[in-house]
Amino acid sequence: MAECIVITSGKGGVGKTTTSANLAAGLALTGKTVCVIDADIGLRNLDVILGLENRIVYDLVQVIEGNCRLKQALISDKRVKGLRLLPAAQTRDKNAVTPDDMRRLIKDLKETHDYVIIDCPAGIEQGFRNSIAGADRAIIVTTPEVSAIRDADRIIGLCEANELPEPDLIINRYRAGMVQRGDMMNREDILEILAIPLLGIVPDHEDIVISANRGQPVVFDDDSVVGAAFRRIADRVQGIEHEIPSFESDPGFWSVFKRWMGLEAAVGGI
Amino acid sequence: MRNLFQKISNIMGPQKGSKNDAKKRLKFLLIHDQVDLTPGQLDNMKSEIMEVIGKYLEIDHEGVEFNLNRADGTVALISNVPVRRVTGARA
Repeated sequence: MAECIVITSGKGGVGKTTTSANLAAGLALTGKTVCVIDADIGLRNLDVILGLENRIVYDLVQVIEGNCRLKQALISDKRVKGLRLLPAAQTRDKNAVTPDDMRRLIKDLKETHDYVIIDCPAGIEQGFRNSIAGADRAIIVTTPEVSAIRDADRIIGLCEANELPEPDLIINRYRAGMVQRGDMMNREDILEILAIPLLGIVPDHEDIVISANRGQPVVFDDDSVVGAAFRRIADRVQGIEHEIPSFESDPGFWSVFKRWMGLEAAVGGI
Repeated sequence: MRNLFQKISNIMGPQKGSKNDAKKRLKFLLIHDQVDLTPGQLDNMKSEIMEVIGKYLEIDHEGVEFNLNRADGTVALISNVPVRRVTGARA
């Protein structure tokens, strides 16, 4: 039974595209066939995060307008079996697609894939409505910031209004060091406010920047803590339970004492 | 040394990080996003409600609590009105 999951947030820049790319690749790593759709028409980015930008021939709008067959537009990732990208059009706008177009497209894709992942654009207008139209469930990405959580709350309400089941939450850009100092909201604070199930926490880490530079999703990196976080999320999406770590370090007595005395600079950590 | 003193006082006193500000502002925002009333309108509602209650009961106005709270995505108006004595009741 194929499933379509939309990755959304309301606010821009919280990590929807990175999450979409790594969740899709992470699901493919577990042997599933996955199609990830860039629904951000006019501002495509998912191809770059996945490192597939040089292989685009056709796009989502061309498929919908019947200028090519769906199969021709899908780009197969060569690093992992079963991962395909349907890129967004770069020179069109969101009004080139309707929610009904998306429903038809997703219905077709679900026949040949286990998962269809939709990278939703920021905002709550046409692009959002297109993105949620064919989705069976939603994953909301937020960061531990007032503005991102406020928008996430709005999106939770819109998911409910559009008769999607209760969405799951991913907390991105989590900085355990700041949480430990009381300068960042922790998971309990965020869950108390948003009151939806937590799917995973992704630490704020330089690996994300490096992997984006290289077009190599961090989920492929066996040694990365961020990669591990996304691999756990890919499992939990399929109902495989994992503890969700908070990445808090236990620095040991002397380190704490020295830092307390001001002898050692406090490290940001993750 | 001042740094050290500050750290001692931090440990002695309640730990206050900026996350508490974030949480407080966020809760306030979400309630007002949902209720869509200005603080002025809320004040008016409060005084009108108290006026009605005041017709029947003598209220301790100092002790009145009147808050919008949010739990599990729904907003509740929670008010605690201390009563001095019943004014409108017949003997």
